[in-house]
Amino acid sequence: MLKVLGGFIAGVVVVVLVAYNSMGSMMFREISSPYGVEETVARIQQNIQNAGNGWSLSGLRNAAKPIELDGGNVLPVLMIEACSTKYSGPILKDDSLRFLSNLMPCKISVYKKNDGKTYIGMMNAELIGSLFGSMVGGIMKQVSADQAKFIVFDASKPAPAMIKGTPGAASSGSGAGAAGGC
Amino acid sequence: MLSRLKFILPLMAASALLVAPTAYAVPAKAEAVIAPQLETIIKPKASTADHSKFKELNRNFQTGPQVTEACLVCHTEAAKQVQHTKHWTWESTDPKTGQVRGKKNIINNYCTSPVSNEKDCMACHAGYGWKDDSFDFKVEKNVDCLICHDTTGTYRKLPGDAGHPVYKRVEFPKGSGKFVEPADLKKVAQSIGMPSRSNCGSCHFFGAGGNGAKHGDLDTSLQHPGKYLDVHMNEKGLNFDCTVCHATSSHQVSGSRYNVAAAVKGPAHIRGKKDESPAACQSCHSDKPHHEAMLNQHTDKLACQTCHIPEYARNEVGTEASWDWSQATIMGPDGKPTVSKDSAGRRKFDSKKGTWVWDSYVIPEYRWYNGVSTYKVIGDKIDPSKVVQINDVGGSPNDPDSRIWPTKVHRGKQPYDKVNNYLTVQHTAGEDHTALWHNFDWQKAIGTGMKAAKLPYSGENGFVSTEMTRPIPHMVAPKEDALSCAQCHSKNGRLQGIEGVYMPSRDSNKWLDMVGWTLVLLSLLGVLIHGSLRIYTGKNKGQHK
Repeated sequence: MLKVLGGFIAGVVVVVLVAYNSMGSMMFREISSPYGVEETVARIQQNIQNAGNGWSLSGLRNAAKPIELDGGNVLPVLMIEACSTKYSGPILKDDSLRFLSNLMPCKISVYKKNDGKTYIGMMNAELIGSLFGSMVGGIMKQVSADQAKFIVFDASKPAPAMIKGTPGAASSGSGAGAAGGC
Repeated sequence: MLSRLKFILPLMAASALLVAPTAYAVPAKAEAVIAPQLETIIKPKASTADHSKFKELNRNFQTGPQVTEACLVCHTEAAKQVQHTKHWTWESTDPKTGQVRGKKNIINNYCTSPVSNEKDCMACHAGYGWKDDSFDFKVEKNVDCLICHDTTGTYRKLPGDAGHPVYKRVEFPKGSGKFVEPADLKKVAQSIGMPSRSNCGSCHFFGAGGNGAKHGDLDTSLQHPGKYLDVHMNEKGLNFDCTVCHATSSHQVSGSRYNVAAAVKGPAHIRGKKDESPAACQSCHSDKPHHEAMLNQHTDKLACQTCHIPEYARNEVGTEASWDWSQATIMGPDGKPTVSKDSAGRRKFDSKKGTWVWDSYVIPEYRWYNGVSTYKVIGDKIDPSKVVQINDVGGSPNDPDSRIWPTKVHRGKQPYDKVNNYLTVQHTAGEDHTALWHNFDWQKAIGTGMKAAKLPYSGENGFVSTEMTRPIPHMVAPKEDALSCAQCHSKNGRLQGIEGVYMPSRDSNKWLDMVGWTLVLLSLLGVLIHGSLRIYTGKNKGQHK
């Protein structure tokens, strides 16, 4: 009996360790882009605008800029922010789920690495959503399906212009980002 | 208890024996030489002369040469000095190979050649009136003093005027609705000063006809740079002008891509020592600039720039990675010339010039370099079956004057004569019927260009792939952002393509590795066997007791 219990506990420990070790990579995805940073951003932005389902751009941030202003160097990291009222609305209406506003707007980061290539990083919305019950899980599954379309590029189409800043957003206050959907 | 002690005490003794010698170890001496205090480098900018009080300059100048004549009344030798510089001759001779180069003679990978296009290209000539090969290089009044010494920022030279400044209001670019006002030459002449970043940048930031296009480490972001972009030019810090490093004597500007000091040795000397290029880092920092001796050991193999310029074009301006001339003359869907921009708003296609690819925050390509580049000059034979090297970069791991340098390799496609096998000179700029940008006819453009270059043209042209390599000396990052050891000392590190030098962690020897690992395993095995035996024999002794 002791051996069975010991084996069970050892199994649990192994599973926890494996899960702990791989959880990070399961929660986020990284793929390489065939384009440069700016063109990748522009194509994703265009895909978001054409995605329907209430999606719109909330902004574009360069996470490297504050570091540059502070005198340091990092390779560019552009974060595309997008939101869909269709998906955000039900979550924000529920008091018990409003804390999930921390996950909004959705972010897709585009960055360069030391190999000179461009990469796209994004959250595994489906997996993370599944941690918060069936309603959130269902919504995030749809978000995840839409996100997959954001990074499908049509090389036959010309490169669009990158949209800088927050389209149509108010500058500050509770109205900020209103046109961005969230 | 006793058996345990028997095991632990010898272990401690052995450890003590191993560790004891380190008490006598002395840290390796660092031969760092600290750069001298700034006060000794930067001269005060206040002038001893107020040029607005000079009688010669108190008149309404109509042309640039009139201003120069007034300057020369006092600065009697200035024009003669300028006329011996590359800024005037657009020509230089390699002291090591004897090759005669310079913009006038080479074909580069961007706008190709100024020959037959002088009226446009000479917007960046330190002179007035060079519109064709009849230009007289001895006329002193044609030296342009103001392009380097204007402090008003109002003095502009545009393509098409053969180096003359704007004399009357003009729309530029044509059809853009933007206008350039003529400069008040009297005011400019009375406001002259030492060359600033604006003066140098008015040409060098815009090489290849676009901001940052040519160099990658020179663009308008260096006008007001932050510390991250260039630790020396940082506007809120050292705030160096170009001339702090490119120290000038008799108008000869030190530090040229044609004569790069690739491997400077010895202590810091700042200015005053007569050598070929005081524009080198070592002039201030010496060839042993680090506090860590290990880092100083790298300086006989690496250029300073290799670690301290981790990327170039570190801004949104970016730089051109390639220029494909074979796409020029392709028209838009309506049959008319067209232009388009890339996602970042930089030029991407122009029916006049072809296609470009831009990049920013670019990882350099590294190679051995000894400062000697052999250029393709007009008429040099090429092998069109291979990528044509616009400049063959000298250097090898066995050459004591070579260092591993970061470079920008610009790739392109250029027209060439398929029968004579040389790159062609084409008449691009101008309003005449043979200019490429006017009539979009390669045959006419090449015909006129080759005639001006005094070379036969077979009438058959093709396009050949080309590469041009430039060392990257600008945009020096703060020391905290220098490359880390692992960025090179790893299998897929920055220097994975560099041959001829053994780099730990990048390189390995199968047999040496096998011997090493065997020794490690044997040692481990020995320890295990020894420990087991001690435990076993200790147990037995205990049982006897």
